[in-house]
Amino acid sequence: MKLVAKKDVVHVLEAWSKDYSILAPSLRENGDCVFDAFDASMFTIEYRKPPMPPKSSYLPQNESIFSVENGTFTPVIHHEKTMLFGIRACDLTGIRQARSFYSRDVDDVYHRSHAEDTLIVVHACSWPQNETCFCTTVHSGPYAQEGFDIQLFDMGTDFLVESGSDAGRFLITQEPFRDFDVDDAAERLSRVKHMAHNSIPIVAEVVDAMEVLKGAGANEGVWEHFGRKCITCGGCVYVCPTCTCFNVVDRVTAEGSGERMRTWDTCLYAGFTREASGHNPRPSQASRLKRRHEHKLVHFNPVDNQGALCGCVGCGRCSDYCPVHIGTLEVVKAIADHIY
Amino acid sequence: MTNSINEFDDADLFFVIGSNTTAQHPLIGSRIINAVENGAKLILFDPREIPLAQFATLHFKQNLGTDVAVLNGIMNIIIQEDLCDRLYVESRTEGFEDLKKLVTRYTPKAVEQITGIRASELYRAAVMYAQADKAMIVYAMGITQHITGTDNVKTLANLAMLTGHVGRPSTGVNPLRGQNNVQGACDMGGLPGVFTGYQRVNDPATVKKFEDAWGVTELNTKPGLTITGMINAAHQGSLKAIYVMGENPLTSDPDITHVEHALSNLEFLVVQDIFLSETASLADVVLPAASFAEKEGTYVNTERRVQLARAAVPPPGLARPDWVIIAELCGRLGLAADYGGPAEVLKEINALTPSYKGITHARLSSGHGLQWPCPNENHPGTEYLHREQFTKGKGSFLPCDFKPAAETPDDEYDFILTTGRVYYHFHTGTMTRRIDILEREAPEPLVEINPEDAKKLGIRNSDTVELESRRGSIRLKAEVTPRVPKRVLFTTFHFREAPVNRLTNSAFDPVAEIPEYKVCAARIRRCP
Repeated sequence: MKLVAKKDVVHVLEAWSKDYSILAPSLRENGDCVFDAFDASMFTIEYRKPPMPPKSSYLPQNESIFSVENGTFTPVIHHEKTMLFGIRACDLTGIRQARSFYSRDVDDVYHRSHAEDTLIVVHACSWPQNETCFCTTVHSGPYAQEGFDIQLFDMGTDFLVESGSDAGRFLITQEPFRDFDVDDAAERLSRVKHMAHNSIPIVAEVVDAMEVLKGAGANEGVWEHFGRKCITCGGCVYVCPTCTCFNVVDRVTAEGSGERMRTWDTCLYAGFTREASGHNPRPSQASRLKRRHEHKLVHFNPVDNQGALCGCVGCGRCSDYCPVHIGTLEVVKAIADHIY
Repeated sequence: MTNSINEFDDADLFFVIGSNTTAQHPLIGSRIINAVENGAKLILFDPREIPLAQFATLHFKQNLGTDVAVLNGIMNIIIQEDLCDRLYVESRTEGFEDLKKLVTRYTPKAVEQITGIRASELYRAAVMYAQADKAMIVYAMGITQHITGTDNVKTLANLAMLTGHVGRPSTGVNPLRGQNNVQGACDMGGLPGVFTGYQRVNDPATVKKFEDAWGVTELNTKPGLTITGMINAAHQGSLKAIYVMGENPLTSDPDITHVEHALSNLEFLVVQDIFLSETASLADVVLPAASFAEKEGTYVNTERRVQLARAAVPPPGLARPDWVIIAELCGRLGLAADYGGPAEVLKEINALTPSYKGITHARLSSGHGLQWPCPNENHPGTEYLHREQFTKGKGSFLPCDFKPAAETPDDEYDFILTTGRVYYHFHTGTMTRRIDILEREAPEPLVEINPEDAKKLGIRNSDTVELESRRGSIRLKAEVTPRVPKRVLFTTFHFREAPVNRLTNSAFDPVAEIPEYKVCAARIRRCP
């Protein structure tokens, strides 16, 4: 294990940015903090849960997958060595779940190429980012068990640095990384992990709701209640680390030329399931919300979970951002407590 | 809006009239839903069963175009029941006696006859609104797009003043502005009779101030024409050239056939837009403009908040930010307008506009926007208007009598056609119809017809129908739904395949000159 002074991190990133295109927390002039292209003047290590998960590094919001010029087809596969610096363990679990889904039955070459090009530095959480965090309930955090290249643990003025891959080990061999060679290193790390784990409360309703859904299912009243007030903005899907559905469209630039794009989509829109005849197997907003939440909590493929409990990684963003409070936390409470 | 968006959270009652809030202002709609779930009341006036109706404490489906009668009826009940805020009326308003005299004629029975709202039900609404502590009136185009649009707005203001429901937090009159910067366009003088900040073009001191700032003399002090006025003037031949920016009148204006004649009558048409719209296709010169993501500048939202946006990507090809195009044009016309950038433009706005004086580029960069009026650089901005007094001092009651719509159904055209929008498209679709997922969600024009009417006419869901008014006809599919009341047809103006504005009436409000998009007479038949 290694140590690095927090104040040196910006210099480390400056050095790494020669080889990688780095996405890192960035503090804007107006006080907003977002993940953006690394810029030393705006970089910050003091940040809370970023509004967006890092899924767009693997599945860009819009991505050209092949182009056609005068009838000739050319696949478009982007290659750019990328580093995600400072993502949280829940978001890494989201990436790993999507990676499993995108490689399990079909090898999605676009997703794979992004994954192969991306190096991940996890910033383990020492405490909940805010009141909607429930990673400890769904076993996705507060620190990563695997799947990272480097992981940082907050030790006050230093980070304790753990490597999870050869690429990660190589990056932390040089100054300003220094050896953490005290006798009780492992014990100290375990203490930090333990405290972090205990600081994030377990949300029992998540497990209870999963049981209800596995059994007789939720009362239809639950879905009707939420369906009535959903404004169909799709925001919950945008901010969800594990929502990775896309639509495929063609952009024609000239006769015989154009490109095929894939763009983010959401099952909360009626057109997602509407069939050519006009029939829609998910005909109401209530039924579409039911589909989405059941997919996260019961109808997932366990192979894709990657150590987590279900298809939700407990980041809490849907509860943070839904304008009418239809986040996972609100939904599982309604199901578990049989409110509607 | 006299209030701010955050103030929705604390209101006790919403009086929503002429606003399909969850569809057209969904984030404000969500505030209303949350507040209602937390116990607030919602009084809704809308002829259609809009999504917000599911949350309404009371929902009234007034006959289309009868809003003034509805509101006068409510005020009459409030006065009769002695529920007005007497202290407020005495200390902050003038003209109460005239109002009282006029609304006395709007007895519950008379109002029921005009509006179709049962007298006892209207009574409940009147009492509920008058007795609420923090009540917000919310309205949008359903109020303004009538020949009585100005009367409707004045009458809403009368109602709010009568009950003391304006000038406090979560208490006021709130027109929801539709486009991201329509408030900004108005604030910046994009209206015929005003400079920035609503300073009149015929006020000598104001004119002098602008002449000095621009180094010119003899600025025209005559208010210009409205859009409807321009189209009519072009039609008559007295207007020779039009320069259109970010507008698509050939689809969005009423009675398109008339607009076509008018535009083809021009000697010169310039269109500045981000895509080649229907109107741009007719232009002699098209000036490609940068989109929102390709330029820096400010937007002013519905709560009067000025916000700074930065360019995310450079504009494609020859496209340029609007201000650059206009400044270059000024240069070629002999007026040096060599601003160094949006920050310098804002500096001029700060210097010439009292309500924007404190809204500087530096302050906008380091925060999340400022709400006007903001008279100096230390001023925090204004969350709600008319706190201690109205802009003009005392608020004047401006009583208005009910006037019917310009065109009402008869034997020949036996339905009322009303127009609006859907959630997924914006206006004439120049932008949203290029977005694949939005197009998937709302791919085609539909006309809503009540099941009883449909049955009588042999129209089934998805049948192609012909919709016709005195001005034209279009073909589109029918959606048979109880969402619309009987004898009312509803459709949207997003679709060039079936432009409903071929049918709408160009009759307009005499003051604001806004056309009556919300009511015209029409007929419908199934296409064989």
